Amino acid sequence: MSLERVTAIAGRIFTQFRRDHRTLALILVVPIVVMSLVGYLLSERREPVPVGFANADQGAGAPVEPINLGTALEEELHREASITLRRYASAEAAEAAVRSGDVLGAVEIPEGFSERVLSRRPVSLRIVVRGIEPVTDGTVKITVGRAMARLAERMAAATGAPGGAGRAVTIEDVSLLAGPGLSTIDYYGPSFIVAFAFFFTFLLTSVSFLRERSTGTIERLAASPATRLEVVVGYLLGFLVFALLQSLVIMGYGVWALDMRVAGSIGLALLVLAVLVVGVVNLGIALSFFARNELQVVQFIPLVFVPQLLLAGLIWPVETFHPILRTVAQVLPLTHALAALRTVMIAGGGLADIQGRLLVLLAFAAAMIALGAGALQKQKA
Amino acid sequence: MADAIRVASVVRTFGAVRALDGLDLAVRAGEILGLLGPNGSGKSTLIRVIVGLLRPSSGTVVVLDERMPSRRVAARIGYMTQSAALYEDLTARENLIFFGRLYGLSRSEAKRRAAELIDRVSLSEKADVPVNRLSGGMRQRTNLACALIHRPELLLLDEPTVGIDPKARRGLWDYFYRLHGEGATIVVSTHIMDEVERCHRVAMIEQGRIIALGTPEELRRAVGASTIEDAYLAFSGGAAAMAIGGAGA
Repeated sequence: MSLERVTAIAGRIFTQFRRDHRTLALILVVPIVVMSLVGYLLSERREPVPVGFANADQGAGAPVEPINLGTALEEELHREASITLRRYASAEAAEAAVRSGDVLGAVEIPEGFSERVLSRRPVSLRIVVRGIEPVTDGTVKITVGRAMARLAERMAAATGAPGGAGRAVTIEDVSLLAGPGLSTIDYYGPSFIVAFAFFFTFLLTSVSFLRERSTGTIERLAASPATRLEVVVGYLLGFLVFALLQSLVIMGYGVWALDMRVAGSIGLALLVLAVLVVGVVNLGIALSFFARNELQVVQFIPLVFVPQLLLAGLIWPVETFHPILRTVAQVLPLTHALAALRTVMIAGGGLADIQGRLLVLLAFAAAMIALGAGALQKQKA
Repeated sequence: MADAIRVASVVRTFGAVRALDGLDLAVRAGEILGLLGPNGSGKSTLIRVIVGLLRPSSGTVVVLDERMPSRRVAARIGYMTQSAALYEDLTARENLIFFGRLYGLSRSEAKRRAAELIDRVSLSEKADVPVNRLSGGMRQRTNLACALIHRPELLLLDEPTVGIDPKARRGLWDYFYRLHGEGATIVVSTHIMDEVERCHRVAMIEQGRIIALGTPEELRRAVGASTIEDAYLAFSGGAAAMAIGGAGA
């Protein structure tokens, strides 16, 4: 082994990197951005989950003084940092708020709660969650459980009856949108479906389109009478067939082989993917104009894909982000594709439930077609 | 004879670089015009401006009586680059049919025309082999055929014979003459002196301007040179721009 030759090769790589400012910036800046995001997402500093509270308890005369256990629980819940409590007049109002997404869960105290607890008669308290997203559901349940335990301790200390009163209380879990019996794969299935559809489509289109440019055939297209829109739409149609085929495979394998839940129409779920994929195909085309070689296309992946992986709600729910990051999440196509897919697959939602999300995805697709055509113009100018 | 191309006071800048610096040139209909100049002199930029791939920063380009860039005229121009810009995974025939349809031929018309051109550029044996398995000469013949698929009246060839062996180059020039015989106007850039001699007229280009224009014979005589190479070096060395034999600067 010749040290001379080895250092020549290493030195050449060093020189190349020094010239390639974009690569250098990506190597140094992207990890910092990504690690900051991960650090934030894994920290406890995220925004509290909004939870509704409806108290129908009238209170009861306790041995020492009158007490309202519902109100006492409310006080305990207010001390929890992981949730913010909003009071509703009735259980129905609280559940309506969960359905509309104003709050992500609700605690409902039934009539005669205090009286039954004090007389040690069985009574149940309802915790309502959406049931389409496990992280916030878990936060709600764990937080309420913790507040209840503290309340029970307080009561035991006050009455001198160790562990007595709390025992009669059972907790009734209600999953409002999806119902119980969801497995982990049901919950996270839509996350992986959209993520892979996005990733593979992006890779497929950007790399094949780049080849178009490196062989010079794109210049031939530009010199021909074909319009920019004709070129972009032609590419879209060509790639779309394969991207849709791939979505079909991902979805089909998830549903039939991995037994993912599809509560709603599978056709509608595929429509969501199709609309996403139209946008991503054009994103791939547009970005490959800004890349000079395959390496640079690969470098676009962390820029385009990683933020969506972290911020689109795949793992960490968007609702618990800092307002700035929540705004960022709203412009990411994956956020809307995932929300729509979860609504269809887990909650069995119909077209009316996801039309807003679909419109956002269509707007994204239109913007990307414009960007692709604009990039083609740049090529020509 | 009418002009096929009129380039008037065209400037094209790339950042601080003036690739074309107030260039004037008229190409007569039906002639073979050679563009001769060193690398970076503006040959390719001039061709790209004429084809409509680049907009001039200032000045006008009129091709076949229309101001460029024009999509209508694009359909009447054939453009060939030095690197064979072909779809590598497609066969020569598939490439031809694709470009034919891009230029507005119907599928059956494109097929018929592709078969005709394959025969004409002697590619019959390899017409259905992916382009990435063809030799350099065959690729360039395919490339030429692609530029001819829509029967263009005007052909712009940017160093079409770079990297081609002498025999294949001779073959390409035979095609160029045949096209000329059919009435096509051809503009070809090169720095192969032997090719320059084959052109009807030659425009010498340097630093984005035409420094001399005339038949090879006129150019040689003007500086008393015995070869076109000597003439070129003489013009290139002499700072004064000269126009010989009528149309031009």
